[in-house]
Amino acid sequence: MSTMTLYVDKKSFIHHVAPLTKLLYVMVSIAITYIIPKLEFVLFVTLTSLLILAIGKVFRKILPILALSILLIISIIIVQGFFHPENQTVLYSIGFITFYKEGLTFAALLTLRVLNMIMSFGILILTTKHDELVEDLIKKGMSPKIGYVLLSVLQLIPQMRATMGKITDAQRSRGMETEGNLLVRVKAFFPLIVPVVLNSLHNTRERAIALEVRGFNTKMKKTFLNLSKEYQYTKTIQSILWAILIVTIAWRILS
Amino acid sequence: MSIIQVEGLKYKYPDTDQLALDDISFEVKQGEFIGLIGRNTAGKSTLCFALSGLVPHFFNGGYGGKVFVNGLEVRQHEVGDIAAHVGLVFENPFSQMTASKYTVFEEIAFGLENMGVERNEMITRMDESLDLLDITSIKDKHPFDLSGGQMQRVAIASVIAMKPKILILDEPTSQLDPQGSEEVFKVVENLTKEGITIIMAEHKIDKLAEYADKVALIDHGKLIDFDTPAKVFSRDDLPDYGITAPTATRIGKALGIKDSKTDLFPVTIKAISREIGDKL
Ligand SMILES: Nc1ncnc2c1ncn2[C@@H]1O[C@H](COP(=O)(O)OP(=O)(O)O)[C@@H](O)[C@H]1O
Ligand SMILES: [Mg+2]
Repeated sequence: MSTMTLYVDKKSFIHHVAPLTKLLYVMVSIAITYIIPKLEFVLFVTLTSLLILAIGKVFRKILPILALSILLIISIIIVQGFFHPENQTVLYSIGFITFYKEGLTFAALLTLRVLNMIMSFGILILTTKHDELVEDLIKKGMSPKIGYVLLSVLQLIPQMRATMGKITDAQRSRGMETEGNLLVRVKAFFPLIVPVVLNSLHNTRERAIALEVRGFNTKMKKTFLNLSKEYQYTKTIQSILWAILIVTIAWRILS
Repeated sequence: MSIIQVEGLKYKYPDTDQLALDDISFEVKQGEFIGLIGRNTAGKSTLCFALSGLVPHFFNGGYGGKVFVNGLEVRQHEVGDIAAHVGLVFENPFSQMTASKYTVFEEIAFGLENMGVERNEMITRMDESLDLLDITSIKDKHPFDLSGGQMQRVAIASVIAMKPKILILDEPTSQLDPQGSEEVFKVVENLTKEGITIIMAEHKIDKLAEYADKVALIDHGKLIDFDTPAKVFSRDDLPDYGITAPTATRIGKALGIKDSKTDLFPVTIKAISREIGDKL
């Protein structure tokens, strides 16, 4: 079960915050890093997101994604560090490579924004049941079709894995080696991936039919199996988030 | 009154020249189990689509004649409305899962949520369907964590929960192993006891011979025959339509055993033993 979703089922204060409140946090925390482009401030916001991840007991789950984004971050630092148009103040040079203060500051700002973006989305995705989030959005007026697309995208990985398992079984039953050392597995992988992709394309069309005959396109008002959960502090937290947004905007306008 | 009424149905897919369904007429009474047979590309799936409204609403194309299901003219109603009367299950269990739900229980709720069924009623119906399909024990599993046979039963349960009077199954066992197929046939037989009308396209002739009240033989979009299994399977020209007669019928022919009442060849092993038993 746990492998079928990105949601991490733990008990924490963050898990007990309403899904839409967390969504609001994502939007506000990303927005303010653009409204106030000051390094110290963005660092503070990023550290806040990090702290929330830790309180939600999901900090370790975000590490692989952060690791993946390292490449992006390094390229930001190199490109901005060398080539930022406002580069003036030389920080230091190694051989013919020169780092400028302006470029590096800008690179740090971009990096922190990216990190904050990943981490705040991480808070939402890792500590919230996806179907609950989507159903809350539908109840707020989002189209059920968009809701379906969101949920099914979040299920792509388990879905691919299930297809992959089915096809591996089929290939094994036809005598193909699918287990063993790396070389054997790599050899087995390519004939595997083609049917997996073709299969998903075919499935999409059939699935459209299956959804259709289960009334996906009726204009009737939807009902929900899952009851809306009661959350505490929703009003308080949301008000604080809105206040933060307004204050940053005001600060930006006034300064 | 007939629950299904098809009058001179003709249908052509968009951008094709050949009729996929060519002047088909037949009637089905409530509670009957109809087997649909014919070679690949005969038009079985297309007929299933026509009975559930996907033809012409989802596939478009050229359409003529009339189809009534439970009193509704298919052409005049949307697929979503017809879904409350006609359930459709098809071959691939995997692609029938919505891929948006995390448990079997929620998966079955999907259609009911779309139809706006009130929550308590929803849960009652879902429990009934789980029971009928014998999948209560897996209701908390992830839909993709199931065997093919289990998934196919979840697909059937999802449709049955919508309380259709008619259930159409298009080769529901062709991707299942023997055990999975057996499970599906068993539950479908259960459903006929509930008074649900069944239309089932199937290549497993022996099984159809055992369960079907009537068999529809289709070829090149035409309805060649529509009669009891004994009558249809006694035809000498079955191979011309890519059909092999049931094992029991072939044994009966080879040994010259006929049903003493109807003078037709037997279609099930049971019928053979009855005849032999009578003679002994
Ligand atoms: N989506 C489609 N577009 C065009 N032609 C189709 C489509 N689906 C089926 N056909 C054609 O319609 C005919 C009947 O097919 P089908 O109903 O799938 O047969 P069966 O289910 O008996 O194998 C075939 O000639 C097939 O090629
Ligand atoms: Mg077919």
